[in-house]
Amino acid sequence: MNNADGGVRVLDLDGRPTPWRAWWADLWQHRDVLAMLARADFHVRYKRAAFGVIWAVVVPLLQGIVLAVVFSRIIRVGRGPDFGAYVMSGVLAWNYFTQTLANGSTAVVEGRNLTDKVWFPRAMLPIVPALANIVGLTVSMAVLVVVAPLLGAHLGVRVLLLPVAMLLLITFTVALSLCLSALHVYFRDVRFLVQATLLIWLYVTPIAYPAKLLGQLAPYLDFNPMTGVVDVFRLAIVGPQPNQVRAITVTLVFTIALVFIAVEAFRRHDRLFVDRL
Amino acid sequence: MTVAIGMYGVGKRYWKLEEQAMLLRSLLPFHKPTRSEMWAMRGFELEVEEGGVVGIIGRNGAGKTTLLRMIAGVTQPTEGRVHVRGRVAPLISVGVGFHQEMSGRENVYVNGMLLGLTKRQIEERFDEIVDFAELADFIDTPVKFYSSGMFMRLGFAVAIHTDPQVLLVDEVLAVGDLSFQMKCLDKMKAIRTSGVTIVMVSHAMAAIRLLCPRAIVVRHGAKAFDGDVEEAIARHHEILSAEAAAGTGTTAGGKDVIGGVTILDTAIVRPDGTAAHHVTPGEDLVARLRVRFDKPIDNPIFAFTIFGAEGSVAYARATPPQHNYRSFAAGEEITAEMRFVCHLGGGSFRMTTNVSTHDNRAVLTTDYRGVVFFVESRFWTQGIADLDAELLVDGTTLDEGREWGLAAGPAGEKT
Repeated sequence: MNNADGGVRVLDLDGRPTPWRAWWADLWQHRDVLAMLARADFHVRYKRAAFGVIWAVVVPLLQGIVLAVVFSRIIRVGRGPDFGAYVMSGVLAWNYFTQTLANGSTAVVEGRNLTDKVWFPRAMLPIVPALANIVGLTVSMAVLVVVAPLLGAHLGVRVLLLPVAMLLLITFTVALSLCLSALHVYFRDVRFLVQATLLIWLYVTPIAYPAKLLGQLAPYLDFNPMTGVVDVFRLAIVGPQPNQVRAITVTLVFTIALVFIAVEAFRRHDRLFVDRL
Repeated sequence: MTVAIGMYGVGKRYWKLEEQAMLLRSLLPFHKPTRSEMWAMRGFELEVEEGGVVGIIGRNGAGKTTLLRMIAGVTQPTEGRVHVRGRVAPLISVGVGFHQEMSGRENVYVNGMLLGLTKRQIEERFDEIVDFAELADFIDTPVKFYSSGMFMRLGFAVAIHTDPQVLLVDEVLAVGDLSFQMKCLDKMKAIRTSGVTIVMVSHAMAAIRLLCPRAIVVRHGAKAFDGDVEEAIARHHEILSAEAAAGTGTTAGGKDVIGGVTILDTAIVRPDGTAAHHVTPGEDLVARLRVRFDKPIDNPIFAFTIFGAEGSVAYARATPPQHNYRSFAAGEEITAEMRFVCHLGGGSFRMTTNVSTHDNRAVLTTDYRGVVFFVESRFWTQGIADLDAELLVDGTTLDEGREWGLAAGPAGEKT
């Protein structure tokens, strides 16, 4: 833990975990570094590609179009006139989630060359991709708002909920990334478990199809925390979803629990990860 | 005086896993992970006052890295307490957080901030950093195009310009480019006078001696010695020799050891007979092997081999094979000596000995662990040999009137 003593930083370490408050303070002190790392991460990811950040937006949009066409034209799920906007809002949120989680869940292990000489809270590492990907998320949401009317959505004041939706998405993603990245240090198969789970998770979240398609099973979708996240995006773009309150409550409970677990894990293991890298 | 670094009863336990743990497997019922504990450090006590300069020496695996990591706050002790006052910067060759795709300039910022500088502070020092790294022409080039030397220089330059209160130096003089090493040493000497606490780990005794009046010998995760640097270095080499001396083997160079000769003693001594753990280039030395013949043996071959730190043979000498010179009786004790002038360059060396049969087909006995000794390097020299060279520029020697060797280091430290 770090204490200041007349302006001089003092480090006192023993075998005990970092106290809750000191852990948060340490993270807060490093906010500039966090921002800098996120900026660097973003630059590195898109610097060398010819169209740069455009890819960060085009890829998920394309994915959304494909899913919308496949599910509405080929599989012919019961669709309303706003199905395009419905699918697109879900896909864009989902895309941020998977991209961030893929990088975030392995961030502590991947960042080992950063961590064995200099101290900074390790929790920053999984947060970095979550911050870096916000740029792509924001731009694609802006594009969505512009094209939503063309996709059959009637935008209203509800669209102001979009930042709230993004905040919920980001918080949930960060919390899950933190937990998984800590686990990944000790169990290296977490990386593959995440990849496999994400594949299945996409289809148990009402992204490309309306929940009612599942009939009796539909309520169970609400126990999937991503359902609540997607519902808030839908609420902002296309309008209220059935059972959205229940789904969003589930998401909030999950998010709070994950944040709690993550902080507990990191304040205990922050300074032990390096022994396993 | 305030204590800048305090370690009180510090212990660090690592778990040695037999295999990489897998989440899926660990969830299986009755799964017991196979692991054993290993204490890298136990009951370690250390106090360094503000502005103190301490060298840490010891063999690989003695716990030096663990020690530095704990001072840096990167890892926490399993037991005991670590207290560090002031901002810590590690002086390391591999820039922390260097992104291959980003330019040198961008990396300076990321790196500097990771080491605790603010953006504004980096801006103020930017030119100085680039200047020190000698990279003005390449600062906007992505670092993936840098040579390893450039990479290293940039890493050092940033670290050394972070104005730390505690500077951790890990094996700075182990990497490349001699002129840059000297520049770093000079810079560190300057920093030393400004009240910065320095902890330095190195296998290069010359560097330790140059900077640190006090040194600590770490052995098996505990403090074996703490005090004057000269005594510490001597103690270190004593330990190395003692550890090397323990034990003998049963094969040598792929040949069977058939026995018949017992080694009583091997040593490297000075002409006056005193043990030489620590020698300087140009010294007269004697490698001495004392053996007893357990059965009658005719014309055996005595061989001495000196290995460099990486295991390469620096020098080997043996009595000629198939040479009829003498028969030894059972029970006879004799001494074989190799007298030589030490033309070895700076570093650790190991001398092994063996006695073979007349036809060199079988080894009678071997001391494959041998005797370890350390040769001081002269300044401005590197390499396994010391050729005792003289350098001239336009016919004028630059070595005139200059004591060779450490006694007159670059800044005339120690006289």
